[in-house]
Amino acid sequence: MTSETIISIENVFKRYPVGDGEFTALKDINLQFKRSEFAGLVGPSGSGKTTLLNIIGSLDSPTEGRAMVLGKNISELSHRESAWLRNKHIGFIFQVYNLLPVYTVFENVEFALLLQNIPADERKKAVMKALEWVGLADMAGKKPDKLSGGEGQRVAIARAMVKKPEIVIADEPSANLDAANTHAILKTMKKLNEELGTTFLFSTHDEKVMGYLERIVHLRDGYVEQDEIISPKSMTT
Amino acid sequence: MKLAFQLAYKNLVGAGLRTWLNVGVLSFSFIVIIFYNGLIDGWNEQAKRDSIAWEFGHGQLRNAGYDPFDPFTILDGHGVLEQKQAENLTPILIRQASIYPQGRMFSVALKGIDANQTTLEIPTQALRESTAAMPVIIGKNMADAAKLETGDEVLLRWRDKDGTFDASSATIVQVFETNVPTVDNGQLWISIEKLWEMTGLQGHATLFVANEKYQPEQIPGWKYESQTELLSDITDIIATKKVSGSIMYLLLLAIALLAIFDTQVLSVFRRQKEIGTYISLGMTRAQVVGLFTVEGSMYSIFAMTVGSIIGIPLFTYLATKGIAFPTASASRDMGVAMAERIFPVFGIQLILGTILLVVIAATIVSFLPARKISKMDPVQALKGKLQ
Repeated sequence: MTSETIISIENVFKRYPVGDGEFTALKDINLQFKRSEFAGLVGPSGSGKTTLLNIIGSLDSPTEGRAMVLGKNISELSHRESAWLRNKHIGFIFQVYNLLPVYTVFENVEFALLLQNIPADERKKAVMKALEWVGLADMAGKKPDKLSGGEGQRVAIARAMVKKPEIVIADEPSANLDAANTHAILKTMKKLNEELGTTFLFSTHDEKVMGYLERIVHLRDGYVEQDEIISPKSMTT
Repeated sequence: MKLAFQLAYKNLVGAGLRTWLNVGVLSFSFIVIIFYNGLIDGWNEQAKRDSIAWEFGHGQLRNAGYDPFDPFTILDGHGVLEQKQAENLTPILIRQASIYPQGRMFSVALKGIDANQTTLEIPTQALRESTAAMPVIIGKNMADAAKLETGDEVLLRWRDKDGTFDASSATIVQVFETNVPTVDNGQLWISIEKLWEMTGLQGHATLFVANEKYQPEQIPGWKYESQTELLSDITDIIATKKVSGSIMYLLLLAIALLAIFDTQVLSVFRRQKEIGTYISLGMTRAQVVGLFTVEGSMYSIFAMTVGSIIGIPLFTYLATKGIAFPTASASRDMGVAMAERIFPVFGIQLILGTILLVVIAATIVSFLPARKISKMDPVQALKGKLQ
């Protein structure tokens, strides 16, 4: 594993206007994440987990401070550049899967590759491989409404992983899953993390998820309360 | 762009009934617009064709004193042309007269025409071939109005060149059918030689109808009107009918476009999570705006396809078989030649024009609500929060 820092959060503040005043969601956050980390942001609702993940995923930008992702300053990216960053390098897994309802499982997973103009035969191979990773190769032709919660989230993982991104951001991926499915998807993600070297960043307050994390960053009221290294991989330098 | 079309196609097909309702309304608009314009164009073509064949020929040389819209000019609006000047021209002399069918007085325009002419389709050979003392032919509308039939005799009263009344019995030797009301309603056609004899206006004509060989020249006391000038009234009337009719189909189109607009507005609100997902997967906002816009314009492409499936056989049938119209009253009411059957003309220009109109209109009404996406915060969109 390499020790390369691929995410660097420096003195980041995020403020939102609320009525006549403002709400500070992130307060002076300083964090670094290295390649192939399996880390999580943990904290109660409103602690700033999702806000921080959105900034790392270039869906949002800091009000103050600097967020560097894969050498790019998120605040300085144009819409096109941030779209390119997400398309090529970042995969997202959402709490409610966010699968596109009119597309089949195959088409949902294929979507990111379509945006990259990858030829059809290569796309097909990549999609089927991604579906094999998550054990859903036989469900390629099904529509999302025919899938169980666990299957839906596995499709979301396949969709995030098919383009082999450097970073996968998973926002409360287990919130709608039972224990068995939570363990199943976490095992899948862990396996992909180990095999492909993808950096996984979670936001969660699910203890089952925490059990798999190698590093846990505790957030409270927008502050980093504790940055806890659980397993030695994250310590690799 | 190809991707936007691929995705839009999948999204629309996946949306099911909502898509097909919009497509149904829009394809109906397509068919109505093309049908109505095709009908008007067909009527226009037929009216021009019939007017040329029955009244205008290849142009008319009118006496300068004659105004077809002023009956008071009939009395003196006539003259004589030299024989050389009258080559390739069919003389028509118009006089005012009265007939008395079943004792009722009926004012008519008594029109003398060369019985040997072939420029117009008025069946003047009947005047030539008849052995009656005063043979006349009339159109079907005139026959209906005056309750006259072939073989009937009717008292005809006219003035000679000195203004003296004279009267005689005229024989209806033929009732002809025409779509051109201006050679039918209130008109009695007689051999011009007979009319010269009756009025003492030997060699006089009110107007001359040109055949295709006639070369217009400046003749003092006469005014030449080309075929195009003569047809301009028809063109203007048809254009007016087209404009008034277009209000109906524009309303229909507006309803269809409103349906698309509503669907798009609803889509932008209902599909916020989807929009957020597109952006998180790496689409730019402009691409998402493009996708939604293409979805809207694709309604028009689907509608075109559905419209073709219904429209091609329907229009082919109508263009071949024509559409029946109640001609007698319609011709009188419209003032334009109208055949018993009108054969709509569905030209490529009409079809392409309609397609372009609907596609552009659908694209615009789709783009307007989709623009909102460009201002959307993807984080809020992912949460499905209204923005």
